[in-house]
Amino acid sequence: MDAVRDVWEFLTTGDNWRGARGIWTLTRAHLHISFVASALALVLAVPPAVWLAHHRKAPVLSVAIANIGRAIPSFAIIALVFPISIQLGLGLGFWPTCVALVALGIPPLFVNTYAGVAGASREAVEAARGIGMTEGQVLRKVELPTALPLIIAGFRISAVQIVATATLGALVGYRCLGTLILEGLAQPTAARDRLLTGALLVAALAMAVDFVIDRAEPRLVPWTKRVR
Amino acid sequence: MPDRSPDRHAIGLRNVTKTFAGSALPAVGDLTLAVRPGEIVALVGPSGCGKTTTLKMINRLVEPTSGTIEVLGDDQRSMPAHELRRRIGYVIQQIGLFPHRTIRRNMGMVPELLGWDGDRIAARTDELVGLVGLDPDLLDRYPAELSGGQQQRVGVARALAADPPILLMDEPYSAVDPIVRERLQDELLALQAKVHKTIVLVTHDIDEAMRLADRVAILNVGGVLEQYDTPDGLLAAPASPFVASFLGRERGLRRLALRRVADVEVIEGPIVRPSRTVAEALDVADEHGTSWVAVVDERQLGGWIDRAELEALPGSTSVGGLATQRFVATVGATTPLREALDVIVTSRSRMAAVLDGERYLGMVTIDQVAGGLDA
Ligand SMILES: Nc1ncnc2c1ncn2[C@@H]1O[C@H](COP(=O)(O)OP(=O)(O)O)[C@@H](O)[C@H]1O
Ligand SMILES: [Mg+2]
Repeated sequence: MDAVRDVWEFLTTGDNWRGARGIWTLTRAHLHISFVASALALVLAVPPAVWLAHHRKAPVLSVAIANIGRAIPSFAIIALVFPISIQLGLGLGFWPTCVALVALGIPPLFVNTYAGVAGASREAVEAARGIGMTEGQVLRKVELPTALPLIIAGFRISAVQIVATATLGALVGYRCLGTLILEGLAQPTAARDRLLTGALLVAALAMAVDFVIDRAEPRLVPWTKRVR
Repeated sequence: MPDRSPDRHAIGLRNVTKTFAGSALPAVGDLTLAVRPGEIVALVGPSGCGKTTTLKMINRLVEPTSGTIEVLGDDQRSMPAHELRRRIGYVIQQIGLFPHRTIRRNMGMVPELLGWDGDRIAARTDELVGLVGLDPDLLDRYPAELSGGQQQRVGVARALAADPPILLMDEPYSAVDPIVRERLQDELLALQAKVHKTIVLVTHDIDEAMRLADRVAILNVGGVLEQYDTPDGLLAAPASPFVASFLGRERGLRRLALRRVADVEVIEGPIVRPSRTVAEALDVADEHGTSWVAVVDERQLGGWIDRAELEALPGSTSVGGLATQRFVATVGATTPLREALDVIVTSRSRMAAVLDGERYLGMVTIDQVAGGLDA
């Protein structure tokens, strides 16, 4: 119960929220890097997956590449990109973390997009060609929209993982909610309020992102929910 | 009415062969087939005989290995495939509606591709709903919310949206249950009477082909054309044992199903007017060899009287005053001969009265019905 009280006190202390080291700033930074990484993952994963799936190219290879991407630890990517980022003058924290998060976000998006496009109703696709759509129109007007539920599901997995993993940015000096955890670790056990609050806030943020996407989904793909 | 002039055709296949990559034998072999404007042609044959392949070659979903196909007078390769297809409606068995679009937007797809403006598409959609007999309340639903029969109507509406002169249908009714199927077949005939499309219909169901088509092409394995004729022509003279076995038994009866009472000569029948006497009525019965006479007044069928009853009465009695029994063995002018035959063989006197509404036209017996097959 001590832990709960500690976290409660930390959260109800106004000073902890304000200022350059406050929760607001850290949360904003956390969301900022998550947003940039998610957007980049979307841009990098979806178009090639759509193209490959439409042309039914490299199905096995695609999944293999995606799985390898999933298997590489994010921390290792951060460590690898860190010196390169410094060399290129891109700074310490943001870009190494962002690269790792993008790498983390790509596989679920890629796999789901590929599966969604390749799995578009064969009959609908045949009908689309039969009534006179060009290949581009088949892709834009049929395959892509019918793959949308799966793409959204992939994006949801990516986004949640990215938000949770952005915590690592603190290790290379990107000030985000992970910073609270790191500070907590550096202090004696008595200061676990920081550590616990940081972990809690990251989890809450990830769940909030999950919730928002879940709520947005029926609006984006109205034809799936109304069926039942 | 289909255009019967022999030199005009809407679709012409000349020596068309399709051999799929990796297969030794052609799926369609040297097929020559012409479809006249406004007629319904059915391609029938056992599974795998190349019906679908033939149909898909017409709209270039499959490219022929050799041979030429003319569509509306032009070589089908004279324009890009997608432009050709926008002039040809296409309906498939699985229907293939777009799951992410409402019914309204499914129907509007081809007009959208053709760049019609929103008002014009909306007006056309309303028109189509009436044409295919769809409940307008369904327009804002998604395909998954519709029954099979409703989806089928939407599929036809989508194919007809831009009013293409040609409609290709691949087993359009095989996914719906028999009752719905029969209704949809009737609807297609009613629709065709309004829109006069050139329709090529693929089916493995010979009865469906006979029911819907003006002409039927019977294909054998390898896409070999066995016979191409009207349903009646096929039944009357199957060109090969394969066609005969494909058509099945009871060909004579099935020909009868294709013709109507109006197509045969009727006989006057044992009828008397009410003003005649019993003696005269007995003469009529003798003349026709029947044990009864029917009373007909001003072309109205009154009923019939048994010969035994007449014999018990004085010869000078007027027929008009006598009680008659209701005539139950009746057929209409549009009754198919096969049904008329059924009425005849189940009637005691082996005769059926032909009525046009209330008007008495005459009688038919087995002789008249059988004579219908010679015509
Ligand atoms: N895309 C294809 N590739 C290879 N073979 C095919 C293809 N489509 C059809 N076939 C073959 O061609 C033959 C005719 O098929 P199809 O036209 O679908 O027959 P039907 O519609 O009469 O049942 C079959 O043997 C089938 O296996
Ligand atoms: Mg077929």
